[in-house]
Amino acid sequence: MSIEEGDKLHVVTADDISNNKKRLGKFLVWGSALILIFTLLIQALDTNAYLTIGLETWRPSLYAYVLWAFCLCASQVLTRGEHGKRVLFVLPAALFVISMVVFPLLFGLVIAFSDWNLSSPDGRTFNGWDNVRQMWVDPFYWNALKNMVWYTLVIILEYTVAFGLAILLNSQIRGRKFFRVAFLLPLMLSPVAVSWMIGKSMLEIRFGPISRFLRWLASEPSTDLPALLYYPGMYIADIAQWFGWASPSFFGSAGIARAMIMAMDAWTFIPFMMIMILAGLQAIPRELYEASEVDGASKWRQFLEITFPLMLPVSITAVLIRIIFKLKLADIIINITSGGPGGATDSVTSFIFREYRDRSNVGYGTLLAIVYLVIIVIAMTVLIKIADRWMKPRY
Amino acid sequence: MKVDLYNAIVSAQMSRRKMLKGSASLGAVAAMGGLGSAASAGAHGGVRAEIMKIPGVGMGSPGDPEWQKVGELCMGPVKERVAEGEFKGVELTFMGLNNQNLHNFLFRGFLKPWEAYTGAKINWIDLAQADYNPRLQQSIATKTVDFDIIEMGAPFEGDTAGQGLLNEMPGWVKDQIEYDDLVGYLQPPVGTWDGKAYRINIDGDCHTFCYRKDYFGTGSITGRMNPPNTWQEVNQISKDVVGKTDPLTGLPAHGFLDPLKGWGGFGMYFLTDRAGPYVKHPDDPAFLFDIDTMKPRINNPGWVQAIQDVMDLIKIEGAYPADQINADPGTTGFQQFLAGTGSMLTWWGDIGSNARTSDTSVIGDVVGFSAIPGSDRVYNHGKGAWENTYNEAPNNAYLGWGVYVTNRVEGDAKKRKAAWSAAAHIGGKDISLWTSAYPSGFQPYRNSHFNYDEWEAAGYDRAFVEDYLGSNLDTYNHPNSLNEPRIPGIFQYYSVAEDELAKGYAGQYGSAQETADAIAVAWEKITDQIGRESQVKLYKAALGL
Repeated sequence: MSIEEGDKLHVVTADDISNNKKRLGKFLVWGSALILIFTLLIQALDTNAYLTIGLETWRPSLYAYVLWAFCLCASQVLTRGEHGKRVLFVLPAALFVISMVVFPLLFGLVIAFSDWNLSSPDGRTFNGWDNVRQMWVDPFYWNALKNMVWYTLVIILEYTVAFGLAILLNSQIRGRKFFRVAFLLPLMLSPVAVSWMIGKSMLEIRFGPISRFLRWLASEPSTDLPALLYYPGMYIADIAQWFGWASPSFFGSAGIARAMIMAMDAWTFIPFMMIMILAGLQAIPRELYEASEVDGASKWRQFLEITFPLMLPVSITAVLIRIIFKLKLADIIINITSGGPGGATDSVTSFIFREYRDRSNVGYGTLLAIVYLVIIVIAMTVLIKIADRWMKPRY
Repeated sequence: MKVDLYNAIVSAQMSRRKMLKGSASLGAVAAMGGLGSAASAGAHGGVRAEIMKIPGVGMGSPGDPEWQKVGELCMGPVKERVAEGEFKGVELTFMGLNNQNLHNFLFRGFLKPWEAYTGAKINWIDLAQADYNPRLQQSIATKTVDFDIIEMGAPFEGDTAGQGLLNEMPGWVKDQIEYDDLVGYLQPPVGTWDGKAYRINIDGDCHTFCYRKDYFGTGSITGRMNPPNTWQEVNQISKDVVGKTDPLTGLPAHGFLDPLKGWGGFGMYFLTDRAGPYVKHPDDPAFLFDIDTMKPRINNPGWVQAIQDVMDLIKIEGAYPADQINADPGTTGFQQFLAGTGSMLTWWGDIGSNARTSDTSVIGDVVGFSAIPGSDRVYNHGKGAWENTYNEAPNNAYLGWGVYVTNRVEGDAKKRKAAWSAAAHIGGKDISLWTSAYPSGFQPYRNSHFNYDEWEAAGYDRAFVEDYLGSNLDTYNHPNSLNEPRIPGIFQYYSVAEDELAKGYAGQYGSAQETADAIAVAWEKITDQIGRESQVKLYKAALGL
C-alpha cells in the first residue's frame, strides 16, 4: 500500500482506473438519466392526456429516479475509484434529502401556483399569480401576520423571565433540583393539553377556579366580618370590580384574549429558554466572577460585564429557536378561540389550518404556507446576520 | 338510537313502576312468541317483535353477539333475492366510522350472517370522525377511491354523487328496503341526483328547540305561560330576563344561547335555525342561493335580520353569558345549557339525552322540547319583499347518515349486486327498527319507526317515547323544512361564513348587512373556484329541479 502524495485525505490506494471503466460509469449515469427523463416525459404526457397509456400513479418515475440514483452512486466508484467510494458516504444521504425535501418543495410550489379546491370537479389547474393576488388583498392573512408580530415581540418578555428563572436556579437556593424539574414540567405538556386544562377548564368563566377566585375577590365582604377584614375586603372588591372581575371574561375582548394566548404559550415554552440559558450559565468559569470580586465589582456589574455578554451566544440561539417555535403557534389557538374574537388571536398557521382543512382550498393554503416559509427564512437569516455582527466586536 | 338517549330512557324508567309494566309487556311478548305487536303483521311483525327483544330494554348494552343475531334474524329480504353462496369469491371494501365503537362495528355484526350466507368477504376501513372528511376528499381529489361501500352524510353527496363517483341504486334494492317508508324529508330529492337514487338511509337528523320549563309558567321570571313560538319572542325573552336570577342556579338568568364562535362549519347550522323562518318561503325551495345563478342569498333582508337579531343581543350587556363571543355550539350545549346557564337553545338530539344522563347536567327535570320557533314574517326572495304571515321552517341539519355504493362496482354485475345487497341489508326496514330502539348512533328515520305500540311492547315507557319520537316527527315531516343543500364544498361555505360572522359579532363590520355582504363575497369566490356552472347544475339536482 502507498499513500498518494499530496492527498490530505490519505487515500491509501492509488487507483488505476481503465478507460473502459470510466466509459461504463459515464454510460450508466447518462443512460439512467435518459431513462429518467424519458419516463418523466411519458408520464407528463400521459397525465396531460397527450398520450393514452393510462398510468395510474407516478411510481414509474419514482423507480426511474431510484435507478438513476443507484447508477450515479455506482458510477462514482467506476470513474473515480477510492475517491468515488468516499463520495458514497454522503451521496446516498444527499439524494435521499433531495427526494424528501427538495422535490416535495418543488411540488409544493407547483400546487401553490394552482387553483386547487378539493371539491372542484376540474381538479388542479395552474392559475399563475392569482393566489398571490388573492393573498395580497386577504384581510385574514394580513391580520394573522400582524398578530404574529405581536406574538413574536412577546418573546422579549419571555426571554427576560427565562433569564431570571435561570439565574435563580443557578444560584444556591434551597430545593434547587426540585425547582429545576418543576419548572420544566410545562414544557413536557402538550400544548393541546394546556389549552384544555387551562384555557377550557381553569379559565372557564363559570366553573373555572380562576374565574371563581376573581369573582370571589370582586364580591363584597360580609358585614359580619370585623372592621379589620371588612374594609380591606371592600377595598379589594372595589379594585376587582373596576377590573371587571365580577364577571370575568378571558377570551371575550381582543386584547385580553390575545394576552391570554400569549400567556399560555409563554408558560409552556419559557422553560425551554430557561433550560438553555441555565446550561450556558453553568458553563461560565467561576474564576471570572472571583476576579471581578477582587476588583470590587457589584453583582449588577458582574451581570452586565460578565454574565450577560458571555450568555449572548446562548441567548441568541435560545431566542432564535423560540421564534421558530412561536411562528408555528397554532394548537392553543385552534382549541380555544379558533382565531377569535374577530380574528384577534388568529395566527398564520391556524388560519392556514382553516383554509386547508375546513375549506379544502389546497392551492391557496399551500401558497400561504410557502410565503410564510419564505418570510420566516428571510427574517431568520436577517436576525442571525444582525446577531452575528452585533456579537463580533465583543469577541 | 343515540347511546346517550338510550341510557337516558332506560335510567328514566328504571326507577318507575312503569319498568315493571314494561317488563310485564316484554314477558307477555315473549310468552306469545313475539306476536304481541298490534301494529306488526305477518312474518315481518314476528321478526320485528323478536329483534326488539335483543337484548331487551334495560338489559345492558348490546354487543357483537346481539348484532349478529339481529343481522341473522333480518336476513329474510336478502334470502328472497340472493341465492346461498351466490357471491362466493367477491371481496368488498366498506369505509365508515368507528365512533363510540359503533357504526362499522355494528355493521360488521349485522353483515357477518350476510357474509356467511352469500359467500362474499368484506374488508373494513374504520375512520375516526375527524379523519373522515380529509380521507374522503383526498380519495376523490387524487382519484384513489378504494372502497366499494361507504357510510356517508348527505352533505357529501355533492362531492361524490355530484362528481359521478356513486353507483345508481337498482330497483330491487328500493323494494327490499321499502324506500317509500322513509319520513318526508328523506324522500327524494334527498338521496337522489338527477332523479337517480343513490342513498340507503340509516339515520335521521334535525335540530329541535330546547327550553327551560322553569322559565315559563305562573310566577316565572319571564312572566310568560308558554315557551316562545317565534324568534321575535325568543329575542324579547332574552332581553326581558337580563338582570334577573336563574330560578335553578341562582346565577344571572339568560335567554337564548347563540354560539358566536365557529365550529368547523357546523356553527352555521345554528344561524340557519334562526334564519330559517325568515328566509325559507313555502313557495320557494331554495334559501341559501339563487337557483339559476348560485348568487348567495345570505345578504338578503331575511338572513340579515337573523344576523341582526344576534347582534342586538350582543349589544345588550347580560343578554348572553360573559365570554359568549368565545362560545361554540359545544360550549352553549354542554357547558352552558346543561349546566343551568341560559334558558333556550337549538341543538341535535344529544342535548335531550344528556340532560338526563350527564353528570354535569342540572336541568334534567326542567327541560322541555319543541320544534324550532317560527317567525311573524317571512321574506319572499322572489318578490323582494317581506310578507307579514307566520312562517315555520325547522332545520333538518345534516340529514343523518346513509350508505352508498361507489362506481368501483360498475362493470362487474356480481360485485355490484353483492355491494347493494350488503348495503340494503343494513338499511333494511326491520333492522332499522332495532337501530332506532337500541344504542347504535342512529336516529329513527322511517314512518314505521313511529309506531309506538312496538316500542311499548319492547319495554319502553310509552309517554317518554311518544315525547321523544314526537318532537322528531314534527320536524321530519314539516312541509317547509330546511334541507341540506348537498352541493360540493358546502362546508367550505359554512366555514368561511363562520369566519366573517366572527368578525361581525366582534364589531369589525359596521352592520349586519356589511357582515352578510362579506359572507356573500366569500361565497361567490368559492362558487367561482369550484365552478359556477357545475354548482348551479348540482344545486338544482340537489333540490330535485
